[in-house]
Amino acid sequence: MNKDAQMRAAINQKLIETGERERLKELLRAKLIECGWKDQLKAHCKEVIKEKGLEHVTVDDLVAEITPKGRETGFTMLRRLVLNSQGQAVLLPQPSRLLRL
Amino acid sequence: MAQVRETSLPSGSGARWSSGGGGGASPEEAVEKAGKMEEEAAGATKASWGQEAEEMKLEPLQERKPAPEENLTWSSSGGDEKVLPSIPPRCHSSSSPVCPRRKPRPRPQPRARSRCLPGLSPHPASCRPPLPPPPPPPPAQRPRAWRGSRRRSRPGSRPQTRRSCSGYLDGSRDPGGLGDWLLEVEFGQGPTGCSHVESFKVGKNWQKNLRLIYQRFVWSGTPETRKRKAKSCICHVCSTHMNRLHSCLSCVFFGCFTEKHIHRHAETKQHHLAVDLYHGVIYCFMCKDYVYDKDIEQIAKETKEKILRFLTSTSTDVSHQQFMTSGIEDKQSICETKEQEPKLVKPKKKRRKKSVYTVGLRGLINLGNTCFMNCIVQALTHIPLLKDFFLSDKHKCIMTSPSLCLVCEMSSLFHAMYSGSRTPHIPYKLLHLIWIHAEHLAGYRQQDAHEFLIAILDVLHRHSKDDSGGQETNNPNCCNCIIDQIFTGGLQSDVTCQTCHSVSTTIDPCWDISLDLPGSCATFDSQNPERADSTVSRDDHIPGIPSLTDCLQWFTRPEHLGSSAKIKCNSCQSYQESTKQLTMKKLPIVACFHLKRFEHVGKQRRKINTFISFPLELDMTPFLASTKESRMKEGQPPTDCVPNENKYSLFAVINHHGTLESGHYTSFIRQQKDQWFSCDDAIITKATIEDLLYSEGYLLFYHKQGLEKD
Repeated sequence: MNKDAQMRAAINQKLIETGERERLKELLRAKLIECGWKDQLKAHCKEVIKEKGLEHVTVDDLVAEITPKGRETGFTMLRRLVLNSQGQAVLLPQPSRLLRL
Repeated sequence: MAQVRETSLPSGSGARWSSGGGGGASPEEAVEKAGKMEEEAAGATKASWGQEAEEMKLEPLQERKPAPEENLTWSSSGGDEKVLPSIPPRCHSSSSPVCPRRKPRPRPQPRARSRCLPGLSPHPASCRPPLPPPPPPPPAQRPRAWRGSRRRSRPGSRPQTRRSCSGYLDGSRDPGGLGDWLLEVEFGQGPTGCSHVESFKVGKNWQKNLRLIYQRFVWSGTPETRKRKAKSCICHVCSTHMNRLHSCLSCVFFGCFTEKHIHRHAETKQHHLAVDLYHGVIYCFMCKDYVYDKDIEQIAKETKEKILRFLTSTSTDVSHQQFMTSGIEDKQSICETKEQEPKLVKPKKKRRKKSVYTVGLRGLINLGNTCFMNCIVQALTHIPLLKDFFLSDKHKCIMTSPSLCLVCEMSSLFHAMYSGSRTPHIPYKLLHLIWIHAEHLAGYRQQDAHEFLIAILDVLHRHSKDDSGGQETNNPNCCNCIIDQIFTGGLQSDVTCQTCHSVSTTIDPCWDISLDLPGSCATFDSQNPERADSTVSRDDHIPGIPSLTDCLQWFTRPEHLGSSAKIKCNSCQSYQESTKQLTMKKLPIVACFHLKRFEHVGKQRRKINTFISFPLELDMTPFLASTKESRMKEGQPPTDCVPNENKYSLFAVINHHGTLESGHYTSFIRQQKDQWFSCDDAIITKATIEDLLYSEGYLLFYHKQGLEKD
């Protein structure tokens, strides 16, 4: 394993040990739900299933189909995720919704 | 409570599951055909026809017109009962309806469909012959009972599952959300899974081993297990911790899925089952798909619960806690019901096109004349900016004891309201804090909603101040807390000396605008209401009926103070008669109009029931200080660009029913652009715009356009 992968593994270990990984996963999940990503992807899933036919689709099929789309849109949405001044993760509001005072 | 006629049918044509296509297949035929489907390598068209046929079989009532959205009622059974689901899932198969409050409906409610169905396999082709479905019970009885149980035993529904099914430790029962609606077309089965899982289950101690695997490697809660997981959960071949790591169920082997390392192991060792370490689902290498076995799901559920219980007791993050616990309770009830009677689940797809967004709508239990509080809470929780603020956890508590902080409590309230749960919320903590911080509202007497609104805004404002900053603590003008950002407007009062015409101006911050009504002592009943401003578009103008705009015009009229109320004029240096005029200097983001229906004249108190019409959209331009000034200068109202920033949309209305001595508050709340709901404590019903516009109106909440979410 090269150094990069080693470091990643080490970080991952630490994250799991401290429980942070679960917390982060949860936070991300909440944010993705909040911005509608999950529903989008769910809709896409259903289209795939309809295409392939209910009896013949497998989880693997779905994973193959939706992973690239999910990754791409997920990253786009999560790019808006920033840390605010109190160290909490928040989704930046879309520009039209910024307060004008 | 408003009853509803749905204005547009859910469009079945474009939907994937259109009911018309199946033709008049009888249930038995449909079963046969569907059975054949499983054996053939059916093409997509056939598949969809078969699905429709199955749907026909499942839903003998389908041919009827879909019921209107009145189906959306959900409620607790009277305020003081338990709010958590308690009806056993089996109840809908009994003959007696379990929810006497519900009216019988022609069709079961589509939304209360649960989403997770762990007990059944999504892949019908795997090893199970289709069973003929049991004969459907008599239609009139079945939907009612079914719906009743749906509501009671499984309060969650589609919007809820955004959070619930992928609760804290992931929707293991629902990888990607498939399991649920795929199973709608499943024939009713007993425990499922595949034959390979069955043979696994006869092994010695299989439950114990499985539990161990779950506890140690899938849902590691305790620090020791987490450490172990961190160290050992890597692929034995390529050492990655990613790539859908699976653990073999029969031996200690971890392999990643993407690179097929676990597949290789399965082949060589003939260990046919593995568990996904992220989601906890079982994969069968012989069937080549994930399988859902009821017993295994049960074990998984128990393990997760244990861990969650442990974690929530140790977690200090309030919102985190709430999130997790709400995840549990919803998930439990969802999966239980689904396991029992999957064939009764009606597919939701037909409705999906016209899905009504109900996240954020939860009833509120009346704790003893607390309807005034419930209405205000409903209004506040539907202010988009406030919702963003609290759901992003932007509040940083400044109180020395956070348990007394009302803003923190509002934050948890928002989280509770938007958790997706549809059981009514009990705002006892909020009530208690209000009693502490606003003593004049303490006790169980009936209170005024407007008074409560001002009190709660005041407390929230006080608890939001930055103590450390060098700001004047009592000057609301300098405060930049979220309450002030949203609610504070500037009310300008101009006093004009009649002699020298000099104007003395003061600007006071205000959180709401209290308007006199025609018919009260203070107003314009006898005179003709000013209709000079005909350039203003009047959305609420009904001939003969006073409108909100009329009240606002009265509010901003120049008022002669009379000879008995002379004001000292600074330029004349003497007391002179004067006129006073109120206008809006600065418009708040949320404008709250208070119609002064409660009149106190000496000892006499009465309620004014005059109907005031109010518009869905309101333009505040005519009531601005700047408009008045330009009108005075140029002699006519500015007709060029009316800026959009003065346009408001109605989003909440609070009504008072009854008399001064004894009354009840209810509210209308808007979801999305045009969906209105009536909130009567714990009971939420869909409402029409007519219901709304013909209601009396006591507190009207308008939101500046352009700053709302969709």
